[in-house]
Amino acid sequence: MTHTEIFEKLHEVALNPKAQMDAYLAQGKKVVLCAPVYTPEEIVHAMGFIPMGAWGGDRELNRAKEYCPAFLCSIAQSILELGMIGVYEGASAIIIPSLCDTLKTLGQNWKYAVKDIPFIPMTYPQNRKPAFGVAFTRAGYERVVAELEKLGGKFDNAALRASCEVYNRHNAAMRKLDEVLAKHPEVTAAQRSDAFKSAFFMEKSEHTAIIEELIAALEATPAGRGKKPILVSGILADAPQFNAILDEMGLYIAADDIAAQSRQYRTDVPAGDDALTALAEKFANMDNCSVLYDQEKLRVKLIVDTVKARGIAGVLVVMTKFCDPEEFDYVPIKRACEAAGIPVTIVETDRQMAHYEQARTNIETFRDMLMM
Amino acid sequence: MAEEVKKAPKPVDVNSAKYKLGKIAADAYTDAFQAKKEGKIVAWVSSNFPVEIPETLGIATVYPENQAAGIAARGAGERMCNVAEADGYSNDICAYARISLAYAKLKECPEQEVAMPDVVLCCNNICNCMIKWYENLAQDLGVPMLMLDIPFNPDYDVPQSIIDYVSAQFWDVVAKLEELFGLKWDDDKFQEVTGFSCRASRAWLAATACAKYTPSPFNGFDLLNHMAVMVTARGKETAGEAMETLYKEYMDNHANGTSTFRTEEKYRIMFEGIACWPYLRVTSTGLKSRGINMVTTIYADAFGFDYNSFEGMIRAYCSVPNAINLEKSRDKRIKLCKDNNVEGLLVHTNRSCKLWSGFMYEMSRQIGEACDIPVTSFDGDQADPRNFSEAQYDTRVQGLVEIMDANKAAKGAM
Ligand code: SF4
Ligand code: SF4
Repeated sequence: MTHTEIFEKLHEVALNPKAQMDAYLAQGKKVVLCAPVYTPEEIVHAMGFIPMGAWGGDRELNRAKEYCPAFLCSIAQSILELGMIGVYEGASAIIIPSLCDTLKTLGQNWKYAVKDIPFIPMTYPQNRKPAFGVAFTRAGYERVVAELEKLGGKFDNAALRASCEVYNRHNAAMRKLDEVLAKHPEVTAAQRSDAFKSAFFMEKSEHTAIIEELIAALEATPAGRGKKPILVSGILADAPQFNAILDEMGLYIAADDIAAQSRQYRTDVPAGDDALTALAEKFANMDNCSVLYDQEKLRVKLIVDTVKARGIAGVLVVMTKFCDPEEFDYVPIKRACEAAGIPVTIVETDRQMAHYEQARTNIETFRDMLMM
Repeated sequence: MAEEVKKAPKPVDVNSAKYKLGKIAADAYTDAFQAKKEGKIVAWVSSNFPVEIPETLGIATVYPENQAAGIAARGAGERMCNVAEADGYSNDICAYARISLAYAKLKECPEQEVAMPDVVLCCNNICNCMIKWYENLAQDLGVPMLMLDIPFNPDYDVPQSIIDYVSAQFWDVVAKLEELFGLKWDDDKFQEVTGFSCRASRAWLAATACAKYTPSPFNGFDLLNHMAVMVTARGKETAGEAMETLYKEYMDNHANGTSTFRTEEKYRIMFEGIACWPYLRVTSTGLKSRGINMVTTIYADAFGFDYNSFEGMIRAYCSVPNAINLEKSRDKRIKLCKDNNVEGLLVHTNRSCKLWSGFMYEMSRQIGEACDIPVTSFDGDQADPRNFSEAQYDTRVQGLVEIMDANKAAKGAM
């Protein structure tokens, strides 16, 4: 397949998560929903379920308002909305971590709003690096294992180790894809988004295979030219209108610090016989994210360093409205970029946004800044 | 205006709980300034951080949430929020954090000055917003941050894994503070501090439980002020003594048929959420003028740090209101409503606090059902005055009164 054909396929998947889920169910597989920002998908995979990302959808909120005040982010609210209107019907459970205050409340509301899909909490430590933090992550994973066993899953150390390898290989493919895409400005922002988004809706070895094929196809294609490279940072950047504006403005994503994209793939499961401990160590090694305690603000440094390393022209912060972890990080990001002479702009988005005029104006000004 | 006749000020009764508690709260600020002057260590501390640590180590404490509440109550919330927003902070961020980050920048605010910190001590048992806020404080002020992570517990009881994790962190924070500042942990002092903290907590619980009497011997808005002592000074000897005085006064009031709610108590409600500090008078008058006494709030339970073992202490810190699941949060409130003969629930949907408000709709429905009482909510904010409408508050409170009246009539008719 050509890279265009592969992108079309990925687009289909990214656009129709429900069809993906139904297809897995039709094959007799069980699906477990995985809410943002991090969940131990490796465990779900190893215990014989299909992990399916549940990051909400771009739709109006109606039913969720029975539970959520308006000032909760649209990602959490739309996850609840989709649950309430039956879009996730057939899923065996949902895993919701408590990495931000809104996610803590999402889990509690879920129990009453979507009674037929069991809620599995995943409690991560913020002091994740010391031994006591690793032990606590492991205890959280054991809890998830116990819940999945109740749903018919079987736990086996060797199977988990194997799933960790599946995920590590997928991580490597996604990191490689990000590098390759940095050299291919002709790939649209929407295509890039589809490549990442589809990962949430496919069994990981299937997705790895297709991404590896895409990488090979891209590497065999001469790179396009003439667009300005930017770094995007935030939780999500998958709205078609948003991506269309980037293309229209002659900007391309040469690196991302998006929670639903590269942040998922930066860290591998290390070697180790006890797979659960190794997986807990993976979490301990994770950094550079607004929902992971970071006294040094390493994330800010990573953004600046990536901009320099990839010759990127500017940073576009895509702020999910009401996402307070990201809102807090924005100020140090802005300061660090300004100190390093890197143009930086913020656009606010949410999953119900119908009008992108404000975003367009901001991005236009940003583009003009980059052209100077 | 020389001819203006001034009313003689009421003589201050230095033995009253009000005086004692007010003095302790004020001293907390001056003590920190004094400590700074003497070259001692000053920490900025989250309200539900185990105070046993700084108290035992002799570290002076400042509580930014308490400072922000003070600033907001004195009318400077919006001004300080504007400073933070001009720096790029979204107005969706908790207003306490915005005010505090603005103070870290300006290092002055006449409405409540505080000593600047040598370290910030963060505990996220009330919210993860705290982590982000303190990360930025530590960066802006160039001081170390120590983080005691108490995760939100999705289960009803505190599991051993959380106890082990938090206990290990407790000693880790102690070791780090010893190393950073050359301090020495003293077990005897620790025992003494835990004794003070438990004594203050017991007296607080006893005083707030006096709302079980009808009429209540106190106006629930008192609690919102006295609570400052439980936040900032519960590890000090004076706090226990003053809280005991408060308890005694409430019992005396009950015996004498008096109350600090100085009008006829026609209705008894529970108030849910943080006070709207910028509108304390408006919100209080809106109730009092209708004869509504807010007899209880979750704060009555929130500072019950009464324990008899190290593990018990850790468990208490893991069980503060925002760290517990919906069912446990609900049951604590149902108990308060039932113990105190509450007839209605008034919920502050606080724009600053995602965690507190995020499952409040469902929880208050369940409380209303279990206690057979009406539930009403209003929109507000604990410190940003732009998010409150007096008209809406008034309408909602009036609505609550009407249902409580109807309920009373129905009961009377039975
Ligand atoms: S978008 Fe932000 S606030 Fe919403 S769930 Fe994700 S991290 Fe939490
Ligand atoms: S008001 Fe809520 S968000 Fe703000 S500090 Fe308190 S608990 Fe945290």
